[in-house]
Amino acid sequence: MLSKIMKSGLTRRTFLQSTAAAAAASSMPRVALAADKVIKIGFLAPLTGPVAAWGKPGLDGCEIWAERVNAAGGIKLADGDYQVEFVGYDNEYDPAKARTGATKLIREDGVSFIMMLGGDTWPGVQPVADKTGMLFSTLLPSDLSPDTTTLIAPAEVHPIYNVTGVEWLAENKPELKTAVMCAQDDALGLPSVATYLAAFEAAGIEMLDDPLLFDPATTDFAPVVTKLISGNPDIVCLDTCYSDYVHPIAEQLFQQGFKGQIISCTADFYDQMIAKTSEEFMEGFIFQFPDFDDAALNSDQINFADPNGFYAEFNKRFPGQWGAVSWEYASIMDLWKAAAEKAGSAEPDAVAAAMKEGGTGKHAFGDAKWWGTELFGIDNALVGDWPVVAIEGGKATIKEFRSIPAWYDKHGDLLVKHMKAYDQMWDQRG
Amino acid sequence: MRNLIILLAAVAAFIALPHGLSFSQQEILVFLTINILLVSSYRLLTLTGEWSLGHVVIMGVGAYASALFSKKLGVYVPVSILLGGITAALLAVLLSFPLFRMKGFYFLIGSFAAGEIIRLLWKRFRDPFGGAKGIKGIDPMPDFSIGIYDFDFFEPVSYYYMSGAVVAFCLWVLWRIEKSPVGLTFHAVHWQDKLAEASGVNLRAYRTLAFAIASGFAGIGGALLAHYIGTINPNSFDVEVMVFVLTWAIVGGTGTFYGPILGCVVLTVLNEIVLREMGFEQMRPLIYGAIMILSILFMPKGLESVVQKIFSRRAPDGAPKQEAAK
Repeated sequence: MLSKIMKSGLTRRTFLQSTAAAAAASSMPRVALAADKVIKIGFLAPLTGPVAAWGKPGLDGCEIWAERVNAAGGIKLADGDYQVEFVGYDNEYDPAKARTGATKLIREDGVSFIMMLGGDTWPGVQPVADKTGMLFSTLLPSDLSPDTTTLIAPAEVHPIYNVTGVEWLAENKPELKTAVMCAQDDALGLPSVATYLAAFEAAGIEMLDDPLLFDPATTDFAPVVTKLISGNPDIVCLDTCYSDYVHPIAEQLFQQGFKGQIISCTADFYDQMIAKTSEEFMEGFIFQFPDFDDAALNSDQINFADPNGFYAEFNKRFPGQWGAVSWEYASIMDLWKAAAEKAGSAEPDAVAAAMKEGGTGKHAFGDAKWWGTELFGIDNALVGDWPVVAIEGGKATIKEFRSIPAWYDKHGDLLVKHMKAYDQMWDQRG
Repeated sequence: MRNLIILLAAVAAFIALPHGLSFSQQEILVFLTINILLVSSYRLLTLTGEWSLGHVVIMGVGAYASALFSKKLGVYVPVSILLGGITAALLAVLLSFPLFRMKGFYFLIGSFAAGEIIRLLWKRFRDPFGGAKGIKGIDPMPDFSIGIYDFDFFEPVSYYYMSGAVVAFCLWVLWRIEKSPVGLTFHAVHWQDKLAEASGVNLRAYRTLAFAIASGFAGIGGALLAHYIGTINPNSFDVEVMVFVLTWAIVGGTGTFYGPILGCVVLTVLNEIVLREMGFEQMRPLIYGAIMILSILFMPKGLESVVQKIFSRRAPDGAPKQEAAK
């Protein structure tokens, strides 16, 4: 008997009961006002430290999203309208802290959904997800595997969308024949290396050397860049380097007189890069993340509500902070809101089922399909079109939207080949 | 009788502690317990006068070894935790050959370099270390029941009881070592090395012994961590984590056995609970740094000096003299 009393094991059933109780308890003083009913959403990402640039702007964007949704009446579920509130937890990109954060968000704050950056932190959270059945999202589909049934990647299919930039370069600048690449040697850098290698091979662009993998603790990029451009390549690819690396590498490329093409997954805070180099040097820099004041985002295919207004509001509140993830977590919330309203419930299972119904979903950049069995072992990544962005006249400009599935249909075998070579297939990880 | 009452009270406090905490605080308590072993083992090394920057990597060696023993060889997890500690100790013995050709600042830098080499090896060799992504899906401690309590090691309370018992035993061993003739020799190696050497003490052997023992216990700490969170990667044991260990030791003070433990507990509670609860989620590094600078400025001998002051005030007049007279 005492054993039963003292046993504090958590199952999906006890989790749902305790969450319901916690939510009920938290809403008891407000029960008189239906409009005060609140759904809490967890935000579990690095808010401090070197990876904070891919967490903090996302939370800022979500706050703007929540204000807009709440002003429009909130989230409409079967039992009434709910206001939405974000609860953040800084996991410092550490799996142990991510586990603690997930526990807090689920068992203390009673959140209905948790958004993560993913990467190194997901394996720490996975046991909590398995035990509780909570629905999580990641920006890094390399976290996906057949075991991660409650994990979805609905915003970005990092790093697969990088193929669109290389494909666009090959078609629009056919004179570029050779490339080199550098990346930090970590969980974010390596799958991206495999993807760029596949994309360059598919485009007929020759790699002059093996990708130069540097330690994430690197601070002096002069020797990295010297070695990188020693073969006089047409293209320097910066892979998915953190902005702490992209900036000094671009600066070194400028200082060491590189005149060729640069392609990178991200160019967060590119205005600072222009300030450190020159507008001429940065002209034509290709990356994958647009500013949301771009006119191309006003086309009918875009599912993100009022992107220009969102961008203006973000820049008003957080000047100079717009980055790759500023809109991504908010776009995930668009999907979650639509699914919750469709299901009439915020229960993780119901929302997940509604979200994946029909195998398609409304991605920020257009209608997309749930995909990924070959690469991730599970169809939990929402994949469709992705923009290719170039810096022109000191401003990020969308050049074109390109289809990721279309590229994969033609060159999927190359991607699988390179992913396998870097042990990045789902059945090779860990 | 008095000692028995104190022991019973400590056991009761140990059992009751997690039940007064929230779920996330229970999680933090598990990591705090493991970190107490880490910082206490670090202190044993500092007794010989050597400060290492590779201690967290050595902890990682224990974590990787235990994870691999259990995952690849199917070794029973409690045994693999022990083997993790032994592996870390053996590696420390190997490292001692080049490292103890150096002293002081040079040893500090040498230990940092050795640690970085080990981390790079983990990254380079994806088989078996998993490369940059590390190892995930590490076997958890197997659940069991003792009749009155079911140990479900997903739950932080269960893991706290298990790891707390292991850490308490390790601390007792560390304490006994420090108070033994070997521990006194460690002090002599630090403060009276020429005299000790003249008395026939093999300085290098004792430094190696301290390094190996400290590494062994750090390795057990790493193994406990690995089997709780189920994943490890090279970044989990980088120099940034080492800086935390150093600050726990410095802010707590290394003059007493409890000094680093006090530093670890106070700074962890401050950083992980107080500042988060106060809503300073994103300001924590700034505030944490400021508090650290202030504590070093105003408490150069560490938090342990505050405890010593409190107890010396409470001691009856003449008590120290009587102690000295004995």
